[in-house]
Amino acid sequence: MGDSASGRSPATDNENYLQPFFVLHKAKPQVSEAKPARRRKVDSSLGSPKRQRGNHGGGEEEKEKEINREEMRMEAFKLVWSEIEGNAKGVMEEVHRESYQAINSWVQESFNTIRSRVEFGSAETSRPFPSAVNPISKRLFTALISTRNIEMFDEQETFKNLTMHLKSSGCYVANLSSMDFTAHSGISSVLKNFLKQFITTSFEVVDLSILATWYKDQGKSGAPMVLVINDLERCHGSVLSEFILMLSDWVMKIPVMLIVGLATTVDIPRSILHSEALQHLQPCKFNLGTLGERMDAMSYGIFLKHDLGFSVSHKVASFMRDYFSSHGGTLSCFVRALKIACVQHFSTESRSIMLRVLAEENKQGKKHDPLPELVDAFCLNTLLSGRNESTKDAKKELVSGLTEVKRFHGQWRTVVLCLCDAGKYSKVHLLDLLCEALDPEIVQSSEPDPSKQSTLDIGGYNQKFSTKAKGFISQVIAKIRDLPGPTLHELLKKWEVHFGGMDEILEKLRILQHMLGDKNVARSKENAMDILKKRPSRSISSSEKVSESVNENAASFLKYLIQNYLRPIECTPFHEVVCFKDVQKLQAALMGVSRRQIQVDLIDSTEILGCTCCLRSSGALAPSMHDTAIMYNSSQEQGDLINVHDWYNCFKLILLQPIDEGTPKRKRSSKSKKAETSFKAGKLPEVAIQARFCRAVTELQITGLLRMQSKRRPDYIQRVAFGL
Amino acid sequence: MMAPPVALSTSVMKGGLNCYAISEGHKLATASSGRLGAVYITIVTCSPRYPVMDTNDIDEEEFGFSRNYFLAKESGSSIKKSRSKISDIGVIDEQELLEAMSRIEPKHEKEIKSLKDSYRSLYSQWRFQIRCGFGLLHYGFGSKRTLLEDFASTALNDYTVVVINGYLPSVNIKQVAAGLADALWEVLKAKGKTSAASSPSWKQTTSSQAMDEIISFLNGPWGDDDIFICIVVHNIDGPGLRDSDNQQYLARIAACSHIRIIASIDHVNAPLLWDKKMVDLQFNWIWHHTPTFELYTIEGMFFPLILTNGSSSQNAKSASIVLQSLTPNAQSVFRVLAEHQIVHPDEEGMQISNLYAICRERFLVSNQVTLNSYLTEFKDHDLVKTKRHPDGEDCLHIPLSTEALQKLLQDISFCRCMS
Repeated sequence: MGDSASGRSPATDNENYLQPFFVLHKAKPQVSEAKPARRRKVDSSLGSPKRQRGNHGGGEEEKEKEINREEMRMEAFKLVWSEIEGNAKGVMEEVHRESYQAINSWVQESFNTIRSRVEFGSAETSRPFPSAVNPISKRLFTALISTRNIEMFDEQETFKNLTMHLKSSGCYVANLSSMDFTAHSGISSVLKNFLKQFITTSFEVVDLSILATWYKDQGKSGAPMVLVINDLERCHGSVLSEFILMLSDWVMKIPVMLIVGLATTVDIPRSILHSEALQHLQPCKFNLGTLGERMDAMSYGIFLKHDLGFSVSHKVASFMRDYFSSHGGTLSCFVRALKIACVQHFSTESRSIMLRVLAEENKQGKKHDPLPELVDAFCLNTLLSGRNESTKDAKKELVSGLTEVKRFHGQWRTVVLCLCDAGKYSKVHLLDLLCEALDPEIVQSSEPDPSKQSTLDIGGYNQKFSTKAKGFISQVIAKIRDLPGPTLHELLKKWEVHFGGMDEILEKLRILQHMLGDKNVARSKENAMDILKKRPSRSISSSEKVSESVNENAASFLKYLIQNYLRPIECTPFHEVVCFKDVQKLQAALMGVSRRQIQVDLIDSTEILGCTCCLRSSGALAPSMHDTAIMYNSSQEQGDLINVHDWYNCFKLILLQPIDEGTPKRKRSSKSKKAETSFKAGKLPEVAIQARFCRAVTELQITGLLRMQSKRRPDYIQRVAFGL
Repeated sequence: MMAPPVALSTSVMKGGLNCYAISEGHKLATASSGRLGAVYITIVTCSPRYPVMDTNDIDEEEFGFSRNYFLAKESGSSIKKSRSKISDIGVIDEQELLEAMSRIEPKHEKEIKSLKDSYRSLYSQWRFQIRCGFGLLHYGFGSKRTLLEDFASTALNDYTVVVINGYLPSVNIKQVAAGLADALWEVLKAKGKTSAASSPSWKQTTSSQAMDEIISFLNGPWGDDDIFICIVVHNIDGPGLRDSDNQQYLARIAACSHIRIIASIDHVNAPLLWDKKMVDLQFNWIWHHTPTFELYTIEGMFFPLILTNGSSSQNAKSASIVLQSLTPNAQSVFRVLAEHQIVHPDEEGMQISNLYAICRERFLVSNQVTLNSYLTEFKDHDLVKTKRHPDGEDCLHIPLSTEALQKLLQDISFCRCMS
């Protein structure tokens, strides 16, 4: 990035720092128009050697290239992320589809009931207000949706999709949230926001009669009206109760149904709503999928639905799983963590633009291979530019490397899908399986140790695999051994779908399926021998043993797949192009530990600043250290109350002490010496020491590490933070 | 791997943020507080299906944390308290101290420069993150004013950047929002988004609805997702923005599709200003640890000096700074009050009815409501105290000496002439 903003004059700064807000600068004109031009420049130069010759230009050209690279990475990111996000949304919709349909049916049934009441009590509907007098007619049909998710913001998408689903079925749908039902805004605000969602023209009087007229004017008496409130627990009880009573008075003219999201239990309306309002509800309970089901679907959508895209390492995946567990199990946080990982990958890995072509293939189902073309485009913008042989080799290597990564990942994905199908019977979660399957330690390069590993050498690669004794993959394999015949048959059928294009495996699977269907003992034994060449033969004498043998063979088949095809992405060359591995960076970006870190900054200021003049072998505080660091470090020896006088004297003593104690002279730079001279004993006047003391205390106060003296204790200040 | 542990501690941020944190093997999921200490805590136990891996680590850390607290308490009570007084130091005159503070020679300038240079190499990554829709939150010791403005001026030239000085006690978030809407409107107009440019609906609405209208305008959609205004908020945890309402408004603004936010925090308890929804969904923070070790010169202007605090004279400089950030009419109302106090130094103060009459005569206020709003502003910033007059009526008093008041009036006049 170019030069700093130090070009701004101090005068400008002086004017601005006292303004509550100010415009630092305005956008450069015609930015968006300039970008396509840059892009065209890149596209037109694909593979052009002329472009490469011009690369020796000055800083401007380099800057232009950097902007181009950022644009390319941004485009690639947008494409890749839109695919991941789309997949995640798609699978979540799929998970909730049954619930949506059940709710829709309930809406239609409730609406029909209201209509039948209207026909029956036509006298009531013709009344001006209140239209309904019969207590049964005044009942509001209410769907209580138990989300079992304490963080309701995580369910925003769920309710948004439900709204869309209902709208597509012809319902009029309005959405209100706890932000509308507050004591501060009151019932009129709720009513206004409710009406605004149906009536687009302006209205002066806020009354439900307007809505009744609007509904009548629509001429579509066949359409139900639905009001969705997604977070009941946070609503103000009195306001919501009043609104319910109001709606119930109008239900014969405005056939509205309530859909209410509950984070806790279905009993919660009793503790929130007034009893009178409760009497006007006719509740019906619905459940959304469990958190585990949703997480499984999400993991599938993100990591497995499509072939190779953006990927994460074992450590990153494990971290994300733990982050999900320890942060209230919110799916949106999990997706956010993945997005941050993706952003960090694209912003730090220059070759990440290669992911663009992979995403396009996934999106459009392209079968051609434009990888070399993209590598060329990339090479023009990076250090690989040039026409010599070594560059050509590097390009070739990159193309072949990526092709290999893609092939290995495809095989890995197939095996994980098989594990996922089998894992459903042992209630193992997909995310757990994924984390284990991504572990590079699952593949061992060392010589086989018969006591620890099960090894099979049926063609393919000579890698060995080791599963943890109590690992999830081991659990899945163990479960297969116990599966009853029909279930195993069902499982093998599911597996068959995943082996498109892998004829060798498909053949072995068919043999297994054949064994399962065949009652002939000898045949079973023969096939078993065929599949497991190295396993010792066993005498099989009864039908139970046949079944046992098939299960054993299925388990061995899965082991064979793991052995030969479950190659974690981190074990393949060039994986760093598509795989994000920096777990610490992700962790730091996701959850800053500001409370701890500010204190660490002060305690380890010398280390962070990297200065040599403050280092003391004895660990004593040096006068050349940052004033606030001296103060904070010296406060650590105090109790919760610090006497200001004593603290000042301590600070003064440190500032006035000789500087050359404990530090070898040869290590000190000239700059350090210069800095030190101003802190020599007797050189610092009292006023400067007091000023430094005041400044340091103010800074500690800004960071919240100190509380100022009270009237009761004017000579003491209080420490606030104790330990990191 | 885990969130920072919190254990049985009570911390109070200046300005009324009471934060209570709890341990006992639970995770603190949500904790937000209002201005005067309404605290909401939601405790969420770990999902049994996805067990936490490093529970022992957390327990140890929490144990260490609470142990330190009790040790400090214990040592405070067991060691004989020092009876020394601040007055024994021989405190130098406040004005002289302030001058000396302005002349403080920063230590480690070279190291600080190289630290900031190392952050410059990250500007392109930060820019990328902003363009991807994230907010940047910078924390760590040292003023981050120059760092953030340098980043904005260097790497965000393609976008309009608005800076909010959160360290000022007088930030009005609604005015800021209107300013942002104006800035976006200009950008849209320049880009030829005529539908947006012709309908600045927030300008036609009443004040009570204005905020919703503005937020709706900022949220668009106005087509291109690369059209946005960047807000740089210095000290988003500053005294002027610390209350719950302001943070909620900021979060809603930050969540708008045509807004990106870059902010700094300095207070150790700042994260407790936000709940999970605000952090993850609205601000959408990416955290950056960027200690600069630069002096908090500007941010510290409003804090009284430890050695002179509690003396009879209030910090006239900080009063002057607060006044300068108020409107000219508010300044004039304050001037009326100050002049009265200078002329009548022995009186309890100026009666409100008297002040209203004079201000009305001078066309400074047109009604009592406007005057009251100014007075509330003065009281909020401790510029004015209310005293009971012997005849029973409330009267207003500025807690400054006559000399300090005269200097203050000179300062205001000078600044107005300059502007």
